[in-house]
Amino acid sequence: MKQGPIEYHFFPSDTKSLIKKIGKETLIHCLKQMLLVRNFEIRAESAYLQGKVGGFFHSYMGQEPIQTAAVQIMGKKQWWITSYRCHALALLLGATPNELMAELYGRATGNAKGRGGSMHFYTERMLGGFGIVTGQVPIATGAAFSMKYLKQDGVAVCFMGEGAVAQGSLHESLNIASLWNLPCIYVIENNQWGMGTAVSRAICAQPIAEKQAPSYNMKGYSIDGMDFFNCFAGFSHIFEETKKTSRPVLVEVLTERFKGHSISDPGLYRSKEDLAKCMEKDPILSFYKTLSENGLITEAEYEAMDKQQKELVVAAMKFADESPWPDPMTLGEDVFAP
Amino acid sequence: MSTQIIEMREALRQAMDEEMARDVRVFIIGEEVAEYNGAYKVTKGMLAKWGPERVIDTPIAEEGFAGLAIGAAMTGLRPIVEFMSFNFSFVAADQIISNAAKMYYMSGSRFSVPIVFRGPNGAAAQVSSQHSHCVEAIYGNLPGLIIIAPSNPYDAKGLLKSAIRNNNPVLFLESELTYNDKMEIPVEEYLIPIGQAKVVIEGEHVTLVAHSRMVLLCIKAAEELAKLGIRVELIDLRTIKPLDIATVANSVRKTHRAILVEEGHYFTGICAEVAYEIQEHCFGFLDAAIKRISQGETPMPYSKTLERETMPTVEKIIAAVLESLNIRG
Repeated sequence: MKQGPIEYHFFPSDTKSLIKKIGKETLIHCLKQMLLVRNFEIRAESAYLQGKVGGFFHSYMGQEPIQTAAVQIMGKKQWWITSYRCHALALLLGATPNELMAELYGRATGNAKGRGGSMHFYTERMLGGFGIVTGQVPIATGAAFSMKYLKQDGVAVCFMGEGAVAQGSLHESLNIASLWNLPCIYVIENNQWGMGTAVSRAICAQPIAEKQAPSYNMKGYSIDGMDFFNCFAGFSHIFEETKKTSRPVLVEVLTERFKGHSISDPGLYRSKEDLAKCMEKDPILSFYKTLSENGLITEAEYEAMDKQQKELVVAAMKFADESPWPDPMTLGEDVFAP
Repeated sequence: MSTQIIEMREALRQAMDEEMARDVRVFIIGEEVAEYNGAYKVTKGMLAKWGPERVIDTPIAEEGFAGLAIGAAMTGLRPIVEFMSFNFSFVAADQIISNAAKMYYMSGSRFSVPIVFRGPNGAAAQVSSQHSHCVEAIYGNLPGLIIIAPSNPYDAKGLLKSAIRNNNPVLFLESELTYNDKMEIPVEEYLIPIGQAKVVIEGEHVTLVAHSRMVLLCIKAAEELAKLGIRVELIDLRTIKPLDIATVANSVRKTHRAILVEEGHYFTGICAEVAYEIQEHCFGFLDAAIKRISQGETPMPYSKTLERETMPTVEKIIAAVLESLNIRG
């Protein structure tokens, strides 16, 4: 049976009242964070093309509002977890551009001592970047289990791409989380491409959360990932509800991936026109435009902010370049914990 | 020192019970561990004593609950995961291999995974191809995993307690056919360190190396051989990884002969690794080729006669020892 037209019911949000509610300081901070992520990805990619970075490399460009809003609302005390597309989450949770760039460069000063690379970033409350699609989902469920077992306040927040929805461990995790009332927010970032496979060729029922959450006796929400305000409104509501109910929830955020699946993917399966059309919807530019229209930022201020973030990342490249390589003598260390 | 005579399953239960009393972060999770009291009754009475918050029945979802337990271990808990059979761990293999084994190293030593996966490994009686595989050779190829396979209740209890206190993922392999085995063990608490083999029988003519239930076959073989005046030195590896090659090498340097016994298959088996390490450490001491008795290279057949044909037996071990000593049986 072919799916009919797919109709999303995004979480309702009113930009005008949200601007008032969130306030200038936080809005400007979020714009700055998004620009940090964007500049990090641009520079890291250029470092890759210079041969400074190896392995797989998955850019978060185009998806910035989602994790920026989520981290801004829920704070750093939750358990956070995501897929291999993990640069943004680590930056947002406080990992420095220096340590992350050094990790990409494979240096001893890197976030994971040069052992993890692009797909494996961590912070005190970020359990990783995970390299296997959906591998992080049962882990996040376990983090929520720990919070419940230890009677701690808080939630686990698990990001995944829409490609993960086809994997069995998501089904197992949602079933268990619902059975056991685990406070886990499962966020599907639907950038509409699982590598080169369009979502309609991989997932039988969309909108994913709206249609599939009820079968797990869970609530499902759709959010417009291109609109920071919609992300902010949606995650605010979902966070408060999850804290109150201690129930898992399934969230689908519709977004766009501006780059290929990874750096080695030229994206030949997408037409140039399609890509140009989606890039016109650049969520950072439209967020800036809204702030500017409301008199919260001038063009000069925006450009200065962008430049400042760019300089931060360029400095991180210098730091990485000048950092020592891991001592080969340390190769065998830490296979086992003490 | 007071002692008690208990079965293997009771020794395992006591180990978990003592560690749960010692550390509130320790809990048991798996299929049928709570209300059913364990498929093999290893967790009998645990639900009644510790309640459903610490003895947790799961749906049939090995990848889901193994991954959940790994996530719990990364965030402050110390789970004991029971697999009803280690053959079901294959369903959870991505979580064990990609997450548990690699996390501490890969995360720049930020997140450790203190977790024990335990349950019956290898063949039981006529359970056929999909319930009989020995997993130690498969998981032995993965840096970051500790693998333990005890042969008797005394070792099982002391090693399981050490495994629960260890800060790394441990695969604790039991044998369904030994759950009823009885032994006199201390009532007082004791621990057995991980990574130490044990000389079960001292001898001088030939070294036998085995682990888990195969040790029991070797003991019988050694008794038979003793009647012929052949004094076998028998080593129980107890821990597969890290491998205590020093104890094995010391013995082979004394006896100059080694026979290796393993319930799993020949190809890339544990014996292959032990044999390699023996030739590396004892090349000049060997007076005969190292021999292996392992399981044949077929999936496990159902029929009794075929099952017996493919598995190591006391007779096969005796024949190998005699051949090694160049004695006609």
